[in-house]
Amino acid sequence: MALGADATRRRLSQTASSWVDRHFRWLLVSPAVVLILALTIFPLGYAIWVAFVTYDFNIPGHAWRGIDNFKEVVTDPNARKAIATTAWLATAAVAIELVIGLLLALAMVRPFRGRRWLIPIFLLPLFMSPVIVGQFWALLLTEPFGPTNWLLGAISGSDVNIRWTTQTPWAYFSILLADAWQWTPFMFVILLAGLSAIPDDLYSAADLDGARPRQAFFFVTLPLLLPVMLVAVAFRVIDAAKIFDVIYVLTKGGPGTDTYTASYYLYEQGFQLFHLGRGTAGAWMFMILLSVVSYWLVRRLLKPVEA
Amino acid sequence: MSRPDEPEARDLVARLNAGKLSRRDFVTRASALGISTGAIGSILAACGGDEEVAPPPAETPPAETEPPAETEPPSETAPPAETEPPAAGDPADIAVVAAKAHAGYTVKVTYEGGLQALDPKNFSGPLWEELTGIKTQVIELPFPELYSKPIAEHIATSGAFDILDVPPPNIPSFVEGGVVAPIDDLIEQFGYGPAQEDVHPLYRALGTYKGQTYGIFDDGDMFALYYRKDIFEDPELMSAHESELGRPLAPPTTWDEYTETATFLTGKLAPDVYGAGAFRKQGSPGNQFAFFQQLRANGGTFFDPETMDAVINSDAGVKSLEQMLAVNKASIPGVEELDAVGQWTAWLQGKLAMIFSWPPTGRMSENYSQRDESFSFIPESTIVGKVGYAIMPQLNGEHAGGFVKCISADSKNLEAAYLTVQWLTSPSISLQRVTLPYALRDPYRISHFTSEEYGSLWPGAKDYLAMLNDAANNGVIDLIMPAAADYSFAIDRACSAVWGGEDPKRALDNAAAEWNKITDQTGRDKQKDAYAAFLTLPGATAENTIAALGQALTL
Repeated sequence: MALGADATRRRLSQTASSWVDRHFRWLLVSPAVVLILALTIFPLGYAIWVAFVTYDFNIPGHAWRGIDNFKEVVTDPNARKAIATTAWLATAAVAIELVIGLLLALAMVRPFRGRRWLIPIFLLPLFMSPVIVGQFWALLLTEPFGPTNWLLGAISGSDVNIRWTTQTPWAYFSILLADAWQWTPFMFVILLAGLSAIPDDLYSAADLDGARPRQAFFFVTLPLLLPVMLVAVAFRVIDAAKIFDVIYVLTKGGPGTDTYTASYYLYEQGFQLFHLGRGTAGAWMFMILLSVVSYWLVRRLLKPVEA
Repeated sequence: MSRPDEPEARDLVARLNAGKLSRRDFVTRASALGISTGAIGSILAACGGDEEVAPPPAETPPAETEPPAETEPPSETAPPAETEPPAAGDPADIAVVAAKAHAGYTVKVTYEGGLQALDPKNFSGPLWEELTGIKTQVIELPFPELYSKPIAEHIATSGAFDILDVPPPNIPSFVEGGVVAPIDDLIEQFGYGPAQEDVHPLYRALGTYKGQTYGIFDDGDMFALYYRKDIFEDPELMSAHESELGRPLAPPTTWDEYTETATFLTGKLAPDVYGAGAFRKQGSPGNQFAFFQQLRANGGTFFDPETMDAVINSDAGVKSLEQMLAVNKASIPGVEELDAVGQWTAWLQGKLAMIFSWPPTGRMSENYSQRDESFSFIPESTIVGKVGYAIMPQLNGEHAGGFVKCISADSKNLEAAYLTVQWLTSPSISLQRVTLPYALRDPYRISHFTSEEYGSLWPGAKDYLAMLNDAANNGVIDLIMPAAADYSFAIDRACSAVWGGEDPKRALDNAAAEWNKITDQTGRDKQKDAYAAFLTLPGATAENTIAALGQALTL
């Protein structure tokens, strides 16, 4: 009997050991798989479900709605306006940041006295929280306590009463100002790295060929900087399309819904009014739209490499 | 039961003052002597302490002379008191005795972030722990998140909160969503019913929904008019006003008068002083309160009760928005970008001749609040002794926001949470809380309005209390029904669009279309019932204010 029990134990132990040996690699990766399932796959699946049901704090139950949540977003004038505002605000912000960032990078690419101090100062806004940036500009711009109008009045010699955050188009201007102030350094630092990587030999060769500085810029600098530029633009477009914090602090989407962006609209629907079904459907549509734009930008990015 | 003026009690107080007795020992021994918790709180507050900011002395509640709650359970047949706390025992004492069974528990309480949270952090939280052993954890939230955060935590069933500070308009949504628990049984069990009779009649029903009680009212947030007496009594200005506008310079009684007087004063005194100020910043919040107030003062309503179509774009609605726009033009430049604190700052600096706002305005104007360092971000008042009080033009001021203390349905200890609320809102403790220099809780009990102690805090305090009572008699309440936040957001957007140049009629047409969509999405029949229930509340319209119902409270 005892011998039989020992044999059984041995056999079980061998079976278990052999099972562990056969599945060892899976055992090693299983914690990571479980984490990914719990933190990514499940929420993603849940978000798909939420987009197709009633998930609204004011309406009990989770009835199936089909594509009604999507329809409600598409037919909501505030949502359509928010998408349009997002598109043009992101485009304008990135264009401004690109131009100023490039000019700064060109000015700073050659060594000069004080350059090592200026570069960190230029980069400071990049390390600030966007909420702080918004608050900073709100304090500067908003009446009656902000000094901007007073300063402009002192310079121009007449009363200035611009409502920077509550009147269109000044509200757009304020948002672009705050965004550009924070993110131009990002463009600057990437473009500076790109410019520094262009070999001096190429400029010497262009010089020997009789190229003027403008020609050297358009035929040497720009083509070689283009891939870096596209990387910077791609990152910034994706990020600028999600702009939220500065708007939350500066304008709260106003006046009216003039400065509602997609993120602000979705935040309001989802986390202020708890129309989670509608908010999630909107978030899916926005994500797909942003993916298309990102895909197009990445394709453009890869083209020079393929060539 | 001992009184604080008996020899043993006097000895105890003397030893506390001399530092020979710790606060905890004082509480223990005073309780053993039978001194009520309200009186203990008053003494501790008056004596101050290292770890607390000393509140002003508060009147000794009449309940101190009642038999101790430990020996006599609360009487359910106690007659309702009109001007006194209940006769069946101080509900604060009852709460303290019962709450000792929950010593060691931590109640998690939401408060609007900033000033509102100073009371539980500095005064009521530490005192409650000394009396009962129950700790208080304060969770500060921005005003809009007082709606969204409890919902998020309820959906996540996190049990993150025990007590919720809920503006009345959010209660229907919270009830329908199961966020808050009914407390009628607890009120009955712990004999709190009679103490509710001491609450001003405008506020009594604000913690209820569909016949059940979900919270205890805790903040009388009436809008009122504050004006500069020195300006309104200036002989030159009085004469010029009379000759230009054909009426004496006095607190305006209609909204058109308000605009005219503000325009007149701005014309005469700017840029040193402007006729008026307001808080019009989108999301601050303020626009919806001001619009709801004027809409009803102008005879308008929210919905057609038969069809539930929005009628905010009626003539009364358009007139209200046009009047608000006119006030903006007569006000300090940048009024569209001001929030409540910004307006207070301009007012206390003496740059505004009149404003309408919440009750802390009166206390800050007299530098009563600024005596506490917590208020250091608010400038010292330059207008002490110069401020007069009046109810709003066209009588119907808004009870704008305010707070009801509700119990989270996900609380892990409903009884401890409820007892904390009963103690906090009891006549004796709430009186101390509304008189804290740094408090933003405003008088709401009859015993607050009639308190001699409160009335003596500054020379005009009695007039201030009388005005607040009068304002509540004539006041209208916020729209209280499911999706109230949605409706309010739409109005806030419409107002700020008008400040940005949109035509008022068009903005209101858009807002009305948005309201109809919200109603359809929430359920038209359900909203119809809810609106019908809202219309039964005192102050729902200008026709059923407390005064119009013949129930005005005379002090």
